[in-house]
Amino acid sequence: MGENVTFKCLRCGHEFCGVYDTDVERMCPKCRSNSVRRVKDKPAPPAHPPKK
Amino acid sequence: MMDAGRHPRIKLLAYSEIVSVSGYVGNFSVRVRKKARYVDESACTACGDCAKVCPIVVPNEFEVGLGSRKAIYIPFPQAVPSAYVIDHANCLGDVPIACGKCRDICEIKCIDFDQQDQIINLDVGAIIVATGLDVYDPSALDEYGYTRHENVVTSLEFERLIDAGGPTGGHLIRPSDRKPPKRIGFIQCVGSRTLSGNGDPSASSGQRLSRGRPYCSNICCMNTVKDSLLLKDHYPDTDISVFYMDIRAFGKGFEDLYRRSKEAGVKYIRGLPGEVVEDPVSGNLLLTVDNTTQGRVEQHELDMVVLSIGLVPSEDQAHIKKLLTLSQTDEGFLLESHPKLKPVDTPTRGVYLAGCAEGPKDIKDSVTQASAAAARAQIVLNSDKLKVEAITACVDREVCTGCGLCAKVCPYSAILADSKTKMIAQVLEAKCAGCGACSAECRFDAITMRHFSDAALTAQIDAALAENPENKIVTFACNWCSYAGADYAGVSRMQYPPNARIIRTMCSGRIDEDFILRAFQLGAPVVLVSGCHYADCHYINANRWTQKRVDRLWDRLERKGIRPERLQLEWISAAEGAKFATVMREAERIRQGVTPEEIELTRRVLAEEG
Ligand SMILES: [Zn+2]
Repeated sequence: MGENVTFKCLRCGHEFCGVYDTDVERMCPKCRSNSVRRVKDKPAPPAHPPKK
Repeated sequence: MMDAGRHPRIKLLAYSEIVSVSGYVGNFSVRVRKKARYVDESACTACGDCAKVCPIVVPNEFEVGLGSRKAIYIPFPQAVPSAYVIDHANCLGDVPIACGKCRDICEIKCIDFDQQDQIINLDVGAIIVATGLDVYDPSALDEYGYTRHENVVTSLEFERLIDAGGPTGGHLIRPSDRKPPKRIGFIQCVGSRTLSGNGDPSASSGQRLSRGRPYCSNICCMNTVKDSLLLKDHYPDTDISVFYMDIRAFGKGFEDLYRRSKEAGVKYIRGLPGEVVEDPVSGNLLLTVDNTTQGRVEQHELDMVVLSIGLVPSEDQAHIKKLLTLSQTDEGFLLESHPKLKPVDTPTRGVYLAGCAEGPKDIKDSVTQASAAAARAQIVLNSDKLKVEAITACVDREVCTGCGLCAKVCPYSAILADSKTKMIAQVLEAKCAGCGACSAECRFDAITMRHFSDAALTAQIDAALAENPENKIVTFACNWCSYAGADYAGVSRMQYPPNARIIRTMCSGRIDEDFILRAFQLGAPVVLVSGCHYADCHYINANRWTQKRVDRLWDRLERKGIRPERLQLEWISAAEGAKFATVMREAERIRQGVTPEEIELTRRVLAEEG
């Protein structure tokens, strides 16, 4: 299974977390663009944010 | 199967597996491991004396665990060849004190504990993949209680229970008390037409598929109709209920069978049960179901429940895909070359598909497809010469450095190269499909495509940007999907900005980084790269390299101070005319945000780099 990373949509600028898998098409959940780039200098947020 | 086993021109290698496949259409070399069965299959008369004395009893896989077999056994009654095999994992072996009973009793002495696996090399012209399927395991669907309630069985288990050659001799009994069930319920679409974890990008494929597959398994409705008629024929008093979403009786004569089942008194209830609860005393099952025809929630007490389980791709499908350089659908079935025009061909020429390896289908469709695959293979076998498409790659031996990158990206393994020995790359033209991924990847421009050459594509870029480049959107589109998608948008009269300059390539994998940089250097404000969706790539997986190349370019552009947003990437299918129009409108919006100063700076930066 791929690692969890942060992606950025190069169409609408939306940033989101997802699994980095080279066999799966990337798509922005907001605008459905495939121009989705992996943000390398930003670690992925935890899957379940700590409770406040 | 008997006919195939007896045919003088069919060599049946049972209990064998493929180790490797090399070569190309008309000239495949296949290495086969024929596993040791520890019984001489040509001598064995299947008398069964050995099994009688074998002391080991294990669950019988063919009877889905409802019966047992010995460690020396025939896999199923009609197996070809009709010869015994020793299950090595369970056999006590030929240790005098431990066992060896089968060898002692065998009159013709055909048991050989020293038998070894054999490697067989075959030269063949064509290959037909008919590797079949597996069935969905309903254990994950806790609401049906398959793992908890004895009287909840799968349709495959039910099939064995009503089979005259099955563990009960065809007498239908329910597992808990071995009494004939009087009220039987069938639950349809178990593991089929289910989307779970959909839309959650963090869900693994295992999580997504545990509750079922998104497709219709094709055979379950008619299997249930057939079973219901069989039950009504043998046990007319049985009360049968079928819980369904909708009955898909689409084949010839199917609707008639469905009607006969209803006329025989089988109750069809539209709605899938939410829960199956067991009465711990009687073992009876209580189903709660929302009857959507009547608009009410009902409870049904039944003696036995049959889960109509779906079909799933066989486990070793990914291995076969790798062996033969094939492609898989999202669901895991092997992908045909074209759903309408080449339904039994695969992306690898000379390899054909038959049966459920390609998708769920019934016996009739499997036989039809197998006949078609055999006919397609015959065309290859009967030809002295084979024609290949003229769109192939060609290596300039003077320029090639032997780095081997081209061989790495070739989806068809059509390039012979070795980076260790720096061997000059060699294209096997019979295997090359002309995607151009190698040409785009070669850093030394040592590979030329016989069509869609660098020169031709560069000339198109130059022409597109010859006048007012700041107003243009250079769009690379693959022949099969995105270009067809653009065409579809056009014929459907969908509105999109007229400043797109579309440059066609066979595959998006052909798009060289240099083409994109050249467009930017000539003043293009936005460049769009478009190709087929991952599952639709007409060149197996060449478009994965498009993504990698674009990823690489986004980084490179950013390092040079050029906004990566100016390079857009979209997967557009031939049917997505509307998506093409939307993508072009979005590209135009981005173009309007690119200033003349930005374009000028880009030109300067790229010119300095040379
Ligand atoms: Zn977006």
